[in-house]
Amino acid sequence: MRIVLIGFGNLGRGLGRALVQKASFLHKTHGIVPRVVAAVDEFGAVVDEKGLNLARLLEAAGRKRTVAAYGAGKRGKLALKVIEDVEADVVYELTPTNIRTGEPGLTHIKRAMLAGKHVITSNKGPLVVAFRELDSLAKRCGVEFRYSASVGGAVPVIGLAKKLLAGNEIQEIRGVLNGTTNYILTRMSTEGAPFEVVLREAQELGVAEKDPTLDIEGIDTACKITILANSLLGMDARLKDVKISGITRVRPEAIRLAQEAGQTIKLIGIAKRGSLEVGPKLVPLGHPLAVGGTLNAVTFELDLAREISITGFGAGPKETSSSLLGDLIDIHRTLGG
Amino acid sequence: MLVKVVMELEDVPGQLLKALEPISRFGGNLQSIMHQRERKTPLGRVPVMLIFEIGDRTRLNRILAALRAMGVRVTQLGEREGAVRTTALLVGHIIHTDIRDTIDRLNALKGVMVSDLSLAMGAPGKESTARMTITADDEKRADLAISNLQRIADRKKLLMITSLEAV
Repeated sequence: MRIVLIGFGNLGRGLGRALVQKASFLHKTHGIVPRVVAAVDEFGAVVDEKGLNLARLLEAAGRKRTVAAYGAGKRGKLALKVIEDVEADVVYELTPTNIRTGEPGLTHIKRAMLAGKHVITSNKGPLVVAFRELDSLAKRCGVEFRYSASVGGAVPVIGLAKKLLAGNEIQEIRGVLNGTTNYILTRMSTEGAPFEVVLREAQELGVAEKDPTLDIEGIDTACKITILANSLLGMDARLKDVKISGITRVRPEAIRLAQEAGQTIKLIGIAKRGSLEVGPKLVPLGHPLAVGGTLNAVTFELDLAREISITGFGAGPKETSSSLLGDLIDIHRTLGG
Repeated sequence: MLVKVVMELEDVPGQLLKALEPISRFGGNLQSIMHQRERKTPLGRVPVMLIFEIGDRTRLNRILAALRAMGVRVTQLGEREGAVRTTALLVGHIIHTDIRDTIDRLNALKGVMVSDLSLAMGAPGKESTARMTITADDEKRADLAISNLQRIADRKKLLMITSLEAV
Protein backbone atom coordinates (compact mmCIF):
# COMPACT_ATOMS: atom_id res chain seq x y z
CA MET A 1 0.00 0.00 0.00
CA ARG A 2 1.32 3.42 -0.96
CA ILE A 3 1.11 5.83 1.93
CA VAL A 4 1.37 9.61 2.23
CA LEU A 5 2.11 11.06 5.66
CA ILE A 6 0.80 14.59 6.23
CA GLY A 7 2.22 15.82 9.53
CA PHE A 8 5.41 14.43 10.99
CA GLY A 9 5.25 15.49 14.64
CA ASN A 10 4.97 13.15 17.61
CA LEU A 11 2.22 10.99 16.13
CA GLY A 12 3.68 10.91 12.61
CA ARG A 13 7.05 9.82 13.95
CA GLY A 14 5.44 7.27 16.26
CA LEU A 15 3.66 5.79 13.26
CA GLY A 16 6.93 5.88 11.28
CA ARG A 17 8.71 3.92 14.00
CA ALA A 18 5.87 1.40 14.20
CA LEU A 19 6.00 0.88 10.42
CA VAL A 20 9.76 0.20 10.63
CA GLN A 21 9.45 -2.08 13.64
CA LYS A 22 6.51 -4.06 12.34
CA ALA A 23 7.37 -4.30 8.64
CA SER A 24 7.80 -8.07 8.61
CA PHE A 25 4.84 -8.59 10.98
CA LEU A 26 2.57 -6.58 8.66
CA HIS A 27 3.76 -8.60 5.68
CA LYS A 28 3.57 -12.03 7.28
CA THR A 29 0.35 -11.60 9.27
CA HIS A 30 -1.64 -9.24 7.12
CA GLY A 31 -0.05 -9.40 3.68
CA ILE A 32 0.55 -5.66 3.74
CA VAL A 33 3.72 -4.03 2.45
CA PRO A 34 3.37 -0.38 3.38
CA ARG A 35 5.39 1.97 1.22
CA VAL A 36 5.60 5.57 2.40
CA VAL A 37 5.88 7.48 -0.86
CA ALA A 38 5.73 10.98 0.63
CA ALA A 39 6.08 12.75 3.95
CA VAL A 40 5.04 16.34 4.54
CA ASP A 41 5.31 18.74 7.46
CA GLU A 42 4.73 22.45 7.87
CA PHE A 43 8.22 23.29 6.59
CA GLY A 44 8.53 21.03 3.59
CA ALA A 45 8.06 17.68 1.90
CA VAL A 46 9.90 14.72 0.47
CA VAL A 47 8.59 12.41 -2.23
CA ASP A 48 9.93 9.11 -3.54
CA GLU A 49 7.52 6.90 -5.46
CA LYS A 50 9.78 3.91 -4.84
CA GLY A 51 9.32 4.42 -1.10
CA LEU A 52 11.18 6.46 1.51
CA ASN A 53 13.63 4.83 3.87
CA LEU A 54 11.75 5.45 7.12
CA ALA A 55 14.72 4.99 9.43
CA ARG A 56 16.61 7.66 7.47
CA LEU A 57 13.54 9.89 7.34
CA LEU A 58 13.14 9.68 11.13
CA GLU A 59 16.81 10.44 11.61
CA ALA A 60 16.81 13.41 9.21
CA ALA A 61 13.58 14.89 10.57
CA GLY A 62 14.82 14.43 14.14
CA ARG A 63 18.07 16.23 13.38
CA LYS A 64 16.82 19.13 11.24
CA ARG A 65 13.22 19.34 12.51
CA THR A 66 11.75 18.83 9.06
CA VAL A 67 11.25 16.02 6.58
CA ALA A 68 12.73 18.39 3.96
CA ALA A 69 16.16 17.44 5.34
CA TYR A 70 15.78 13.98 3.82
CA GLY A 71 17.45 13.36 0.43
CA ALA A 72 15.68 15.33 -2.28
CA GLY A 73 13.37 17.06 0.19
CA LYS A 74 11.94 20.47 -0.69
CA ARG A 75 11.06 23.35 1.59
CA GLY A 76 7.72 25.17 1.50
CA LYS A 77 4.03 24.57 2.11
CA LEU A 78 3.58 21.51 -0.05
CA ALA A 79 0.83 19.44 1.57
CA LEU A 80 -1.93 20.08 -0.98
CA LYS A 81 0.37 19.59 -3.95
CA VAL A 82 1.58 16.26 -2.56
CA ILE A 83 -1.95 15.10 -1.69
CA GLU A 84 -3.14 15.80 -5.22
CA ASP A 85 -0.12 14.89 -7.30
CA VAL A 86 1.52 11.90 -5.65
CA GLU A 87 0.06 8.50 -6.56
CA ALA A 88 -1.00 6.84 -3.29
CA ASP A 89 -3.65 4.61 -1.73
CA VAL A 90 -3.86 6.08 1.76
CA VAL A 91 -3.30 9.55 3.20
CA TYR A 92 -2.54 9.83 6.91
CA GLU A 93 -3.66 13.27 8.15
CA LEU A 94 -1.72 13.83 11.38
CA THR A 95 -1.39 17.62 11.64
CA PRO A 96 -2.16 19.50 14.87
CA THR A 97 -5.77 19.98 15.93
CA ASN A 98 -7.56 23.28 15.42
CA ILE A 99 -11.00 22.95 16.97
CA ARG A 100 -12.39 26.20 15.57
CA THR A 101 -11.63 25.92 11.86
CA GLY A 102 -10.45 22.31 11.58
CA GLU A 103 -7.64 23.60 9.36
CA PRO A 104 -5.32 22.72 7.82
CA GLY A 105 -6.51 19.14 8.38
CA LEU A 106 -10.00 19.73 7.02
CA THR A 107 -8.78 20.85 3.60
CA HIS A 108 -6.15 18.07 3.51
CA ILE A 109 -8.81 15.43 4.14
CA LYS A 110 -11.28 16.83 1.60
CA ARG A 111 -8.66 17.12 -1.14
CA ALA A 112 -7.39 13.61 -0.44
CA MET A 113 -10.91 12.18 -0.72
CA LEU A 114 -11.62 14.12 -3.91
CA ALA A 115 -8.35 12.74 -5.29
CA GLY A 116 -9.70 9.23 -4.60
CA LYS A 117 -7.43 8.46 -1.65
CA HIS A 118 -8.45 6.68 1.54
CA VAL A 119 -7.94 8.79 4.66
CA ILE A 120 -6.83 7.91 8.17
CA THR A 121 -6.65 10.69 10.73
CA SER A 122 -6.00 11.33 14.40
CA ASN A 123 -6.98 14.98 14.00
CA LYS A 124 -10.01 15.97 16.09
CA GLY A 125 -10.40 19.39 14.45
CA PRO A 126 -11.93 18.33 11.11
CA LEU A 127 -14.10 15.72 12.84
CA VAL A 128 -15.51 18.25 15.29
CA VAL A 129 -16.07 20.95 12.67
CA ALA A 130 -17.36 18.91 9.73
CA PHE A 131 -18.02 15.28 10.60
CA ARG A 132 -21.16 14.78 8.50
CA GLU A 133 -19.65 16.58 5.52
CA LEU A 134 -16.52 14.40 5.59
CA ASP A 135 -18.49 11.21 6.18
CA SER A 136 -20.69 11.81 3.16
CA LEU A 137 -17.83 13.09 1.01
CA ALA A 138 -15.96 9.82 1.66
CA LYS A 139 -19.02 7.86 0.54
CA ARG A 140 -19.50 10.03 -2.54
CA CYS A 141 -15.85 9.62 -3.51
CA GLY A 142 -15.95 5.89 -2.80
CA VAL A 143 -13.04 6.04 -0.34
CA GLU A 144 -12.56 4.69 3.16
CA PHE A 145 -12.36 7.10 6.09
CA ARG A 146 -10.99 6.06 9.50
CA TYR A 147 -10.37 8.10 12.67
CA SER A 148 -9.85 5.58 15.50
CA ALA A 149 -6.91 7.51 16.94
CA SER A 150 -8.95 10.68 17.42
CA VAL A 151 -10.68 9.30 20.54
CA GLY A 152 -9.04 7.26 23.28
CA GLY A 153 -5.51 7.03 21.81
CA ALA A 154 -4.76 3.32 21.90
CA VAL A 155 -8.16 2.40 23.35
CA PRO A 156 -10.30 1.00 20.51
CA VAL A 157 -13.43 2.95 21.40
CA ILE A 158 -14.79 3.52 17.90
CA GLY A 159 -13.72 0.17 16.45
CA LEU A 160 -15.21 -1.78 19.33
CA ALA A 161 -18.54 0.00 19.00
CA LYS A 162 -18.73 -0.05 15.20
CA LYS A 163 -17.58 -3.60 14.67
CA LEU A 164 -17.88 -5.95 17.61
CA LEU A 165 -20.90 -4.30 19.21
CA ALA A 166 -22.64 -3.67 15.89
CA GLY A 167 -25.66 -5.75 16.93
CA ASN A 168 -26.48 -3.37 19.75
CA GLU A 169 -28.17 -0.05 19.96
CA ILE A 170 -25.87 2.24 21.91
CA GLN A 171 -27.92 4.07 24.53
CA GLU A 172 -25.16 5.97 26.24
CA ILE A 173 -21.40 6.43 26.14
CA ARG A 174 -19.53 7.61 29.21
CA GLY A 175 -15.82 8.02 29.48
CA VAL A 176 -12.64 9.33 30.97
CA LEU A 177 -11.20 10.62 27.71
CA ASN A 178 -8.42 12.99 28.73
CA GLY A 179 -5.23 11.63 30.29
CA THR A 180 -3.95 15.01 31.48
CA THR A 181 -6.95 15.84 33.64
CA ASN A 182 -7.14 12.28 34.90
CA TYR A 183 -3.51 12.47 35.95
CA ILE A 184 -4.17 15.75 37.77
CA LEU A 185 -7.27 14.44 39.59
CA THR A 186 -5.45 11.21 40.50
CA ARG A 187 -2.46 13.10 41.96
CA MET A 188 -4.80 15.45 43.83
CA SER A 189 -6.51 12.47 45.41
CA THR A 190 -3.33 10.58 46.36
CA GLU A 191 -1.32 13.62 47.51
CA GLY A 192 -4.08 15.92 48.73
CA ALA A 193 -2.24 18.65 46.80
CA PRO A 194 -3.99 21.70 45.29
CA PHE A 195 -4.86 21.84 41.61
CA GLU A 196 -2.24 24.50 40.73
CA VAL A 197 0.62 22.50 42.28
CA VAL A 198 -0.33 19.27 40.53
CA LEU A 199 -0.81 21.08 37.23
CA ARG A 200 2.76 22.45 37.45
CA GLU A 201 4.05 18.96 38.23
CA ALA A 202 2.17 17.58 35.23
CA GLN A 203 3.67 20.28 32.99
CA GLU A 204 7.18 19.47 34.22
CA LEU A 205 6.60 15.80 33.44
CA GLY A 206 5.24 16.64 29.99
CA VAL A 207 1.85 15.16 30.89
CA ALA A 208 0.24 18.60 30.54
CA GLU A 209 0.99 21.13 27.82
CA LYS A 210 2.38 24.61 28.44
CA ASP A 211 -1.06 25.96 27.68
CA PRO A 212 -3.30 23.36 29.31
CA THR A 213 -6.57 25.24 28.68
CA LEU A 214 -8.13 22.76 26.27
CA ASP A 215 -7.53 19.89 28.68
CA ILE A 216 -8.40 21.39 32.06
CA GLU A 217 -11.43 23.31 30.81
CA GLY A 218 -12.88 20.04 29.49
CA ILE A 219 -12.79 21.15 25.84
CA ASP A 220 -10.63 18.26 24.62
CA THR A 221 -13.03 15.80 26.25
CA ALA A 222 -15.96 17.69 24.69
CA CYS A 223 -14.35 17.31 21.23
CA LYS A 224 -14.13 13.56 21.74
CA ILE A 225 -17.73 13.40 22.97
CA THR A 226 -18.79 15.30 19.83
CA ILE A 227 -16.92 12.80 17.63
CA LEU A 228 -18.48 9.82 19.45
CA ALA A 229 -21.96 11.35 19.22
CA ASN A 230 -21.54 11.84 15.47
CA SER A 231 -19.82 8.59 14.61
CA LEU A 232 -21.60 6.18 16.96
CA LEU A 233 -24.95 7.75 17.85
CA GLY A 234 -25.72 9.08 14.37
CA MET A 235 -26.05 12.64 15.64
CA ASP A 236 -25.09 15.83 13.85
CA ALA A 237 -23.47 17.45 16.86
CA ARG A 238 -21.06 20.36 17.16
CA LEU A 239 -18.81 21.37 20.00
CA LYS A 240 -21.28 24.09 21.02
CA ASP A 241 -23.91 21.41 21.69
CA VAL A 242 -21.85 20.03 24.58
CA LYS A 243 -22.47 21.39 28.07
CA ILE A 244 -18.92 21.77 29.39
CA SER A 245 -17.49 22.17 32.86
CA GLY A 246 -13.77 21.68 33.55
CA ILE A 247 -11.76 20.71 36.63
CA THR A 248 -10.15 24.02 37.61
CA ARG A 249 -12.50 24.50 40.57
CA VAL A 250 -12.09 20.97 41.93
CA ARG A 251 -10.31 21.22 45.27
CA PRO A 252 -8.48 18.53 47.25
CA GLU A 253 -11.11 18.86 50.00
CA ALA A 254 -13.79 17.94 47.47
CA ILE A 255 -11.91 14.78 46.58
CA ARG A 256 -11.46 13.97 50.30
CA LEU A 257 -15.19 14.39 50.96
CA ALA A 258 -15.90 12.16 47.95
CA GLN A 259 -13.50 9.51 49.22
CA GLU A 260 -15.15 9.51 52.64
CA ALA A 261 -18.34 8.51 50.84
CA GLY A 262 -16.58 5.73 48.88
CA GLN A 263 -16.29 7.80 45.71
CA THR A 264 -13.74 9.69 43.69
CA ILE A 265 -13.97 12.60 41.23
CA LYS A 266 -13.35 12.05 37.51
CA LEU A 267 -13.80 14.29 34.50
CA ILE A 268 -16.47 12.39 32.60
CA GLY A 269 -17.80 12.94 29.11
CA ILE A 270 -21.33 11.68 28.52
CA ALA A 271 -22.99 11.22 25.14
CA LYS A 272 -26.57 10.17 24.68
CA ARG A 273 -29.12 11.22 22.10
CA GLY A 274 -30.38 14.63 23.09
CA SER A 275 -27.75 15.37 25.72
CA LEU A 276 -23.99 15.84 25.51
CA GLU A 277 -22.11 16.77 28.64
CA VAL A 278 -18.61 17.04 30.10
CA GLY A 279 -17.94 17.70 33.77
CA PRO A 280 -16.49 16.41 37.00
CA LYS A 281 -18.59 13.57 38.41
CA LEU A 282 -18.63 11.40 41.50
CA VAL A 283 -17.61 7.88 40.53
CA PRO A 284 -17.70 4.98 43.02
CA LEU A 285 -14.23 3.64 43.89
CA GLY A 286 -13.82 0.37 42.01
CA HIS A 287 -16.13 1.49 39.17
CA PRO A 288 -14.73 0.72 35.68
CA LEU A 289 -14.35 4.48 35.06
CA ALA A 290 -12.42 5.05 38.30
CA VAL A 291 -9.10 4.57 36.50
CA GLY A 292 -5.90 6.23 37.74
CA GLY A 293 -3.01 8.14 36.21
CA THR A 294 -3.16 9.02 32.53
CA LEU A 295 -5.45 6.10 31.67
CA ASN A 296 -8.58 6.49 29.59
CA ALA A 297 -11.72 4.41 30.09
CA VAL A 298 -15.04 4.16 28.30
CA THR A 299 -18.31 2.48 29.20
CA PHE A 300 -20.99 1.74 26.63
CA GLU A 301 -24.56 1.23 27.72
CA LEU A 302 -26.18 -1.13 25.23
CA ASP A 303 -29.59 -2.70 24.71
CA LEU A 304 -28.35 -6.29 24.41
CA ALA A 305 -24.92 -6.46 26.02
CA ARG A 306 -26.02 -4.02 28.77
CA GLU A 307 -22.62 -2.64 29.78
CA ILE A 308 -19.19 -2.94 28.23
CA SER A 309 -16.17 -1.07 29.55
CA ILE A 310 -12.66 -0.75 28.17
CA THR A 311 -9.60 0.97 29.47
CA GLY A 312 -6.08 1.73 28.26
CA PHE A 313 -3.57 4.38 27.31
CA GLY A 314 -5.20 7.44 25.78
CA ALA A 315 -2.11 9.19 24.46
CA GLY A 316 1.52 8.76 23.48
CA PRO A 317 3.02 8.25 20.02
CA LYS A 318 3.68 4.52 20.43
CA GLU A 319 0.29 3.76 21.97
CA THR A 320 -1.58 5.82 19.39
CA SER A 321 0.26 4.11 16.52
CA SER A 322 -1.70 1.01 17.56
CA SER A 323 -4.90 2.73 16.39
CA LEU A 324 -3.29 4.31 13.33
CA LEU A 325 -1.92 0.95 12.19
CA GLY A 326 -5.18 -0.80 13.05
CA ASP A 327 -7.03 1.56 10.71
CA LEU A 328 -4.61 0.78 7.89
CA ILE A 329 -5.10 -2.97 8.32
CA ASP A 330 -8.84 -2.45 8.55
CA ILE A 331 -8.91 -0.58 5.23
CA HIS A 332 -6.76 -3.29 3.66
CA ARG A 333 -9.29 -5.92 4.80
CA THR A 334 -12.30 -3.85 3.79
CA LEU A 335 -10.89 -3.62 0.28
CA GLY A 336 -10.62 -7.40 0.22
CA GLY A 337 -6.90 -7.66 0.93
CA MET B 1 -32.18 0.74 47.92
CA LEU B 2 -34.72 -0.29 50.48
CA VAL B 3 -37.28 -2.79 49.20
CA LYS B 4 -40.59 -4.00 50.58
CA VAL B 5 -41.73 -7.44 49.48
CA VAL B 6 -44.89 -9.26 50.47
CA MET B 7 -44.87 -12.98 49.71
CA GLU B 8 -47.17 -15.86 50.50
CA LEU B 9 -45.70 -18.91 52.20
CA GLU B 10 -47.20 -22.30 52.93
CA ASP B 11 -48.07 -22.66 56.60
CA VAL B 12 -45.60 -25.46 57.36
CA PRO B 13 -42.35 -25.32 59.38
CA GLY B 14 -39.16 -24.19 57.64
CA GLN B 15 -40.78 -22.19 54.82
CA LEU B 16 -39.68 -18.78 56.06
CA LEU B 17 -36.07 -19.84 56.50
CA LYS B 18 -36.04 -21.22 52.98
CA ALA B 19 -37.48 -18.00 51.57
CA LEU B 20 -34.90 -15.84 53.35
CA GLU B 21 -31.93 -17.76 51.98
CA PRO B 22 -31.76 -16.06 48.53
CA ILE B 23 -31.96 -12.64 50.17
CA SER B 24 -28.80 -13.22 52.14
CA ARG B 25 -27.17 -15.11 49.25
CA PHE B 26 -27.48 -12.07 46.96
CA GLY B 27 -26.31 -9.60 49.57
CA GLY B 28 -29.62 -8.30 50.93
CA ASN B 29 -29.68 -6.88 54.44
CA LEU B 30 -32.95 -7.65 56.26
CA GLN B 31 -34.44 -4.86 58.28
CA SER B 32 -37.79 -6.28 59.25
CA ILE B 33 -39.99 -9.37 58.93
CA MET B 34 -43.69 -9.34 59.66
CA HIS B 35 -45.87 -12.45 59.64
CA GLN B 36 -49.45 -11.59 58.79
CA ARG B 37 -51.13 -14.65 60.17
CA GLU B 38 -54.44 -12.87 60.55
CA ARG B 39 -54.51 -12.40 56.78
CA LYS B 40 -54.18 -16.05 55.86
CA THR B 41 -55.31 -16.62 52.26
CA PRO B 42 -58.21 -18.96 51.35
CA LEU B 43 -55.62 -21.52 50.27
CA GLY B 44 -54.09 -21.39 53.74
CA ARG B 45 -50.96 -19.44 52.83
CA VAL B 46 -49.51 -16.86 55.19
CA PRO B 47 -48.48 -13.45 53.84
CA VAL B 48 -45.06 -12.31 55.08
CA MET B 49 -43.83 -8.77 54.66
CA LEU B 50 -40.07 -8.25 54.40
CA ILE B 51 -38.11 -5.05 54.25
CA PHE B 52 -34.51 -5.31 53.16
CA GLU B 53 -31.73 -3.17 51.77
CA ILE B 54 -30.18 -4.32 48.50
CA GLY B 55 -27.37 -2.88 46.35
CA ASP B 56 -29.10 -2.64 43.01
CA ARG B 57 -31.96 -3.81 40.84
CA THR B 58 -29.97 -6.65 39.27
CA ARG B 59 -29.49 -8.30 42.65
CA LEU B 60 -33.14 -7.72 43.52
CA ASN B 61 -34.17 -9.42 40.27
CA ARG B 62 -31.97 -12.40 41.14
CA ILE B 63 -33.63 -12.70 44.53
CA LEU B 64 -37.10 -12.52 42.98
CA ALA B 65 -36.16 -15.14 40.38
CA ALA B 66 -34.83 -17.47 43.09
CA LEU B 67 -38.05 -17.04 45.09
CA ARG B 68 -40.15 -17.79 42.03
CA ALA B 69 -38.03 -20.83 41.27
CA MET B 70 -38.82 -22.30 44.73
CA GLY B 71 -42.54 -21.65 44.23
CA VAL B 72 -42.90 -18.64 46.52
CA ARG B 73 -45.58 -16.24 45.35
CA VAL B 74 -44.57 -12.55 45.59
CA THR B 75 -47.73 -10.46 45.80
CA GLN B 76 -46.32 -7.01 46.43
CA LEU B 77 -43.07 -5.30 45.60
CA GLY B 78 -42.16 -1.73 46.19
CA GLU B 79 -39.38 0.65 47.00
CA ARG B 80 -39.83 1.98 50.49
CA GLU B 81 -40.03 5.63 51.49
CA GLY B 82 -36.63 7.23 51.63
CA ALA B 83 -35.42 4.46 49.38
CA VAL B 84 -33.30 6.49 46.97
CA ARG B 85 -30.17 8.20 48.18
CA THR B 86 -27.94 10.38 46.07
CA THR B 87 -24.82 12.35 46.85
CA ALA B 88 -23.68 15.67 45.42
CA LEU B 89 -20.71 17.92 46.07
CA LEU B 90 -20.90 21.70 46.00
CA VAL B 91 -17.76 23.82 45.59
CA GLY B 92 -17.82 27.58 46.08
CA HIS B 93 -18.71 30.15 48.67
CA ILE B 94 -21.08 27.75 50.39
CA ILE B 95 -21.61 29.64 53.63
CA HIS B 96 -21.79 33.11 52.11
CA THR B 97 -24.42 31.94 49.66
CA ASP B 98 -26.51 30.69 52.59
CA ILE B 99 -26.26 26.90 52.86
CA ARG B 100 -29.35 26.92 55.06
CA ASP B 101 -31.42 28.42 52.28
CA THR B 102 -30.09 25.75 49.90
CA ILE B 103 -31.13 22.98 52.29
CA ASP B 104 -34.53 24.55 53.04
CA ARG B 105 -35.33 24.74 49.34
CA LEU B 106 -34.62 21.05 48.90
CA ASN B 107 -36.50 20.03 52.03
CA ALA B 108 -39.49 22.00 50.76
CA LEU B 109 -39.88 19.47 47.93
CA LYS B 110 -42.37 16.71 48.71
CA GLY B 111 -40.70 13.39 49.51
CA VAL B 112 -37.21 14.88 49.52
CA MET B 113 -34.88 15.41 52.46
CA VAL B 114 -31.28 16.48 52.91
CA SER B 115 -30.20 13.68 55.23
CA ASP B 116 -26.48 14.38 55.59
CA LEU B 117 -24.12 17.31 55.17
CA SER B 118 -20.34 17.49 55.50
CA LEU B 119 -18.44 20.70 55.06
CA ALA B 120 -14.75 21.27 54.35
CA MET B 121 -13.80 24.93 54.76
CA GLY B 122 -11.30 26.45 52.37
CA ALA B 123 -8.64 28.88 53.56
CA PRO B 124 -10.10 32.34 54.40
CA GLY B 125 -11.46 33.87 51.21
CA LYS B 126 -11.07 30.57 49.33
CA GLU B 127 -13.86 28.31 48.19
CA SER B 128 -15.30 25.59 50.45
CA THR B 129 -16.75 22.21 49.63
CA ALA B 130 -19.92 20.58 50.90
CA ARG B 131 -21.02 16.98 50.48
CA MET B 132 -24.76 16.58 50.60
CA THR B 133 -26.73 13.37 50.80
CA ILE B 134 -30.28 13.68 49.55
CA THR B 135 -32.85 11.05 50.40
CA ALA B 136 -35.95 10.80 48.25
CA ASP B 137 -39.02 8.58 48.16
CA ASP B 138 -38.32 7.40 44.64
CA GLU B 139 -36.06 8.01 41.66
CA LYS B 140 -38.34 10.61 40.11
CA ARG B 141 -38.22 12.75 43.22
CA ALA B 142 -34.45 12.25 43.49
CA ASP B 143 -34.04 13.49 39.90
CA LEU B 144 -36.23 16.48 40.67
CA ALA B 145 -34.16 17.29 43.76
CA ILE B 146 -30.92 17.09 41.74
CA SER B 147 -32.22 19.36 38.97
CA ASN B 148 -33.47 21.84 41.59
CA LEU B 149 -30.12 21.77 43.33
CA GLN B 150 -28.40 22.36 39.99
CA ARG B 151 -30.50 25.49 39.43
CA ILE B 152 -29.70 26.75 42.93
CA ALA B 153 -25.99 26.02 42.39
CA ASP B 154 -25.99 27.87 39.06
CA ARG B 155 -27.63 30.90 40.64
CA LYS B 156 -25.22 30.90 43.60
CA LYS B 157 -22.24 30.28 41.27
CA LEU B 158 -21.41 26.99 42.95
CA LEU B 159 -19.80 24.11 41.07
CA MET B 160 -22.03 21.08 41.52
CA ILE B 161 -20.56 17.61 41.12
CA THR B 162 -23.22 14.94 40.88
CA SER B 163 -23.05 11.21 40.97
CA LEU B 164 -22.25 9.51 37.66
CA GLU B 165 -25.57 7.70 37.66
CA ALA B 166 -27.61 10.82 38.43
CA VAL B 167 -29.42 12.61 35.61
